[in-house]
Amino acid sequence: MKFFVCIKQVPDVYAPLQIRDGEIHQDSDRQVLNAYDASAVEEALVLTEKHGGRVDVILAGPEKAHETIRKALAMGAEEGIHLQTESTSGQDSASYAHLLATFVKEKEFDVLSFGKQAQDTDSGLTGAMVAQLLDLPYTTNAVGLAIEGDHLIVTRQGDIGQEIIALPTPCVVTCSNDMNDPRIPTLKGIMGSKRKPVEVVQASSLHGTSLASGFTGEALTHTTSFESMPARKAGEKLQGEADEIARQVAKILSEKTGVFS
Amino acid sequence: MSKNRFNIDDAYLFESELSEDDRMIMEAAREYAQTRLEPRALKGNQEEYFDMDIATEMGDLGLLGATIDPKYGGVGASQTAYGLVAREVERVDSGYRSFMSVQSSLVMYPISIFGTEEQKMRFLPRLATGEIIGCFGLTEPDHGSDPGSMVTNAVKTDGGWVLNGAKMWITNSPISDVAVVWAKAKESKDAPAEIRGFIVEKGMKGFSAPITKHKMSLRASSTGELVFEDVFVPDENVFPDIRGLKGPFMCLNSARYGIAWGAVGAAEFCYQKAREYVGDRKQFGYPISANQIPQTKLANMLTDITSMQMLAWRLGKLKDEGRDHPSMISLAKRHNVGKALDIARVSRDMHGGNGITGEYRVIHHVVNLESVNTYEGTYDIHGLILGRDITGIQAFTPRGNDV
Repeated sequence: MKFFVCIKQVPDVYAPLQIRDGEIHQDSDRQVLNAYDASAVEEALVLTEKHGGRVDVILAGPEKAHETIRKALAMGAEEGIHLQTESTSGQDSASYAHLLATFVKEKEFDVLSFGKQAQDTDSGLTGAMVAQLLDLPYTTNAVGLAIEGDHLIVTRQGDIGQEIIALPTPCVVTCSNDMNDPRIPTLKGIMGSKRKPVEVVQASSLHGTSLASGFTGEALTHTTSFESMPARKAGEKLQGEADEIARQVAKILSEKTGVFS
Repeated sequence: MSKNRFNIDDAYLFESELSEDDRMIMEAAREYAQTRLEPRALKGNQEEYFDMDIATEMGDLGLLGATIDPKYGGVGASQTAYGLVAREVERVDSGYRSFMSVQSSLVMYPISIFGTEEQKMRFLPRLATGEIIGCFGLTEPDHGSDPGSMVTNAVKTDGGWVLNGAKMWITNSPISDVAVVWAKAKESKDAPAEIRGFIVEKGMKGFSAPITKHKMSLRASSTGELVFEDVFVPDENVFPDIRGLKGPFMCLNSARYGIAWGAVGAAEFCYQKAREYVGDRKQFGYPISANQIPQTKLANMLTDITSMQMLAWRLGKLKDEGRDHPSMISLAKRHNVGKALDIARVSRDMHGGNGITGEYRVIHHVVNLESVNTYEGTYDIHGLILGRDITGIQAFTPRGNDV
């Protein structure tokens, strides 16, 4: 099967990060492959190693995100496609979905896979939006993939238990990081990755294209500012005999939460 | 406020100067070290245990002998990349970095530089995959900083050499399949001696490698002795051309360069852990980090780490350009390990009582760095190497008094 895996470069969540003046500052400027996307790449590689096929990766992002494409190539993907944007500001899930859908709609593929969300925004929208724009069958939060004939068998984690869904190809699936333990690129893979082809497509050449729905790719959301989560208040310790503590708990529930009103 | 960034882990932004290849290798090494080595480090230190799977895992990733020609199993990585890998591995534990340094710089490097084509093909690919493990024998029980006085000797015989003597403080010796051993070689018992290199293989009659027990440092890696009692080493296991201390010193230069980088990783770990600890822990109603003394301690750490990063990074570039000098390496090894040891001790102190427990891992770096400060040329001996260059007067041998 032919896989297109859509990947994103995100700030390393393990590096120091601060919010100042309503903006996120990551002074280390350490950028990495989104961990959920790494799982999607890994699963595509495992399936094609077993059943044959090919894995290409697509990244929409600025020029410096090239290094993230190389990581996926170092893991084993065959070719990279870089939908190059001016920067990451002004983009949102919808504008990225438009870029990706516009690029892949003329391409041959069996599976278009994504990480289920990105570590920076945690939106989890792009995969579903692309499926909608292309009118393809899709499912989210996959924890296992298998191939049977021309179907992709997806085990997805639902709110209660797991579901197994057979998707006819071509299809879209978003992958959980619970699916696998992505391989670490070998040094040989890293050195070899620079000889693998990366097609660069200027995002401006795709922008404005009207898809079947009429959507032309403008961002639908506008970020005004970022704020830190308020710090948790210190807890209150209740002391005394069990009856007395129970009375105190009931009083708190009644007065502060209104659950008895 | 400045429009530019200030990175509290990389104050002078040296990582932004790295090539894409080098940065990707650094990221891969970091991912491996943090996900596969860090979970083993507590047990390794508490139980004096080296997991043999680490050798093949490092081999699979290409971390062993990364700079060696791909023809012999390496990947032809840059010297900077080799250093960055050492930094990531030593961020977890100096013992794991010691294992890797010995395999790469003290075993694979001399075989690749001094070995015959047959020796290269016979040993290097298997050393690169971790299928076989190597060690390096120079230091002796009575000859540490003064290896030229070694007593281990090899006397020529039909088809080879007969080796006698003992080596001590040998990283990897108990788990090694091959040992690169330096000995005073003589064509006959009374002929003049010259130092030559021998590849001694496990199982050769008269060769043993007993473990050094009860170490309180580098407990996650294996250390032992090498004992030679009339060991016959065939001619095909002898480096053909290299003579004198130049051979082992070239190997040590390569390893010391890796140590200069490794110390950066250990120091960064201790600084970051201290920063987190004093930020999280409150005393007298405020985070410890709100006080002047902890802040200036952190400032001193970051200043020292920045100087260490600059030295290591610049030295890597000089090595990649072929412009390095052994004294540059002495300077960086001495400075970086000395400062890393200071930082580890201060970090231990800033962790209070928790600093002595293995769970916080800082104490492991403190005790490890005591070894790293001593091995591969002590702090003071590197001072004398630099002193000789600065003054033109060697001071290894005491002068002015009869002793």
